[in-house]
Amino acid sequence: MELYLENGYTSLNKAGEELCGDRVKVADDGKYTTLVLADGLGSGVKANILSTLTSTILCTMVSGGVSIEECVDTIIQTLPVCKERGVAYATFTVIHVDRDGKGYMFEFDNPEAIYITDGKCRNFERVPHKFEDKTVYITELALKPGDYIVTMSDGVIHAGIGMILNFGWLRKDVMAYLDKNLKPGMSAGAVACLLASACNDLYLDKPGDDTTVAAVRIREAVHVNIMVGPPVDKTKDDFYIARFLEGDSKKVVCGGTSSTIVARYLNTTVKADFDFPDKEVPPIGHIDGIDLTTEGVLTLRKLVELSEKYLSHTDLTPKTFTKRDGASLLADMLFEKATHVKFFVGQSINAAHQGLPIDITMKLKLVDTISKNLKLAGKTVEVYYD
Amino acid sequence: MVKVTVCIGSSCHLKGSRQVVEELQYIVKRKNLGEDVELAGAFCMGKCAEKGVSVTVNGEYYSVDPAKVEEFFDDVIVKALNA
Repeated sequence: MELYLENGYTSLNKAGEELCGDRVKVADDGKYTTLVLADGLGSGVKANILSTLTSTILCTMVSGGVSIEECVDTIIQTLPVCKERGVAYATFTVIHVDRDGKGYMFEFDNPEAIYITDGKCRNFERVPHKFEDKTVYITELALKPGDYIVTMSDGVIHAGIGMILNFGWLRKDVMAYLDKNLKPGMSAGAVACLLASACNDLYLDKPGDDTTVAAVRIREAVHVNIMVGPPVDKTKDDFYIARFLEGDSKKVVCGGTSSTIVARYLNTTVKADFDFPDKEVPPIGHIDGIDLTTEGVLTLRKLVELSEKYLSHTDLTPKTFTKRDGASLLADMLFEKATHVKFFVGQSINAAHQGLPIDITMKLKLVDTISKNLKLAGKTVEVYYD
Repeated sequence: MVKVTVCIGSSCHLKGSRQVVEELQYIVKRKNLGEDVELAGAFCMGKCAEKGVSVTVNGEYYSVDPAKVEEFFDDVIVKALNA
């Protein structure tokens, strides 16, 4: 079974602050994923600088294979000392794990990370290690598909403190909340957003501290092939379609002409839907043997809009797509379900589309933006132009 | 039974196919013709260069102005029903 690691995070700034004092850094070298969440002392500029330094140093060193001891030592030696408080300080959590779910995590002064396995929250078996006078907790990781690691800054467990909760949001309550609200198959980003938006509610929309949730999830790989537009050389339609249909990946067809030629190749027809769940997006179609059939450029344009919102680390709308229009279905397929996306982009020109806001340049530009956004979402993307 | 198919491809969408679809659904309901008129959608009919929204009635092609759906219904669809 091919496995895949995904990650996602959401940050809330302390009310009134322009900068966040928490910082998440991710590095992926194709084998190991390294995720660092650092929380700088205080808030605002100073905290932002501390957490940026800490997360960048740790992420670079750990993904480069440097030992934990050396990493921690470097941080202690490097951080500038705060003039008022006389300390150099940023708390951090580092997760370093390979595609099989093996690796380690070490934590310093951040709230204990939560381990979700079989849909239930558990504690990690942490082993304390002393580095100079600092205690760092190290955990050996052996994750299995469907497992999550949820790490957070202290803004999460302090949520609502002195406002609607006397002692903040206790760890056991955070875990109970996750147990209740986590749905199987949720992406790492969706989990991070779920928890962060609950914190925002507890803070009554005015966070008293920078609040960040980062999640890592190990899951089965899902390949998706997506065809956008017919190829230039009409005589080779069959060749291109055969290539697009190859393998046991999910198949998506975008565009009227493309659907027609794919349906012809499969000896069937396109049945178009007649509902408009979203007024801006044309209805979807159905072809036997194809997982999703949509209209082309207009749907893709809406997909770009949806994906920008989806990628935002500050936007608190749930990171799931439940609407039934073409663009939402496509977003769910590409941004939530898929881990690998292969685009087959035909550059044939529909003369009647030229001059309208749906012409070929628009289409190519949209594919470009979508593949860029997919990469930002941590997907492996390939684009073929025919 | 008359089969009416409306193109919902990109071009026709921009020209107002949603309006045509919704208006046809409304008229069919108002006139209680649900048993006699079957409405369906279709992807690009390859007539993007036409001025209006592409519609076929029993296989015959028409280009429909979204502002004149009612007239189209009376002129073409009702006629096809009575034929």
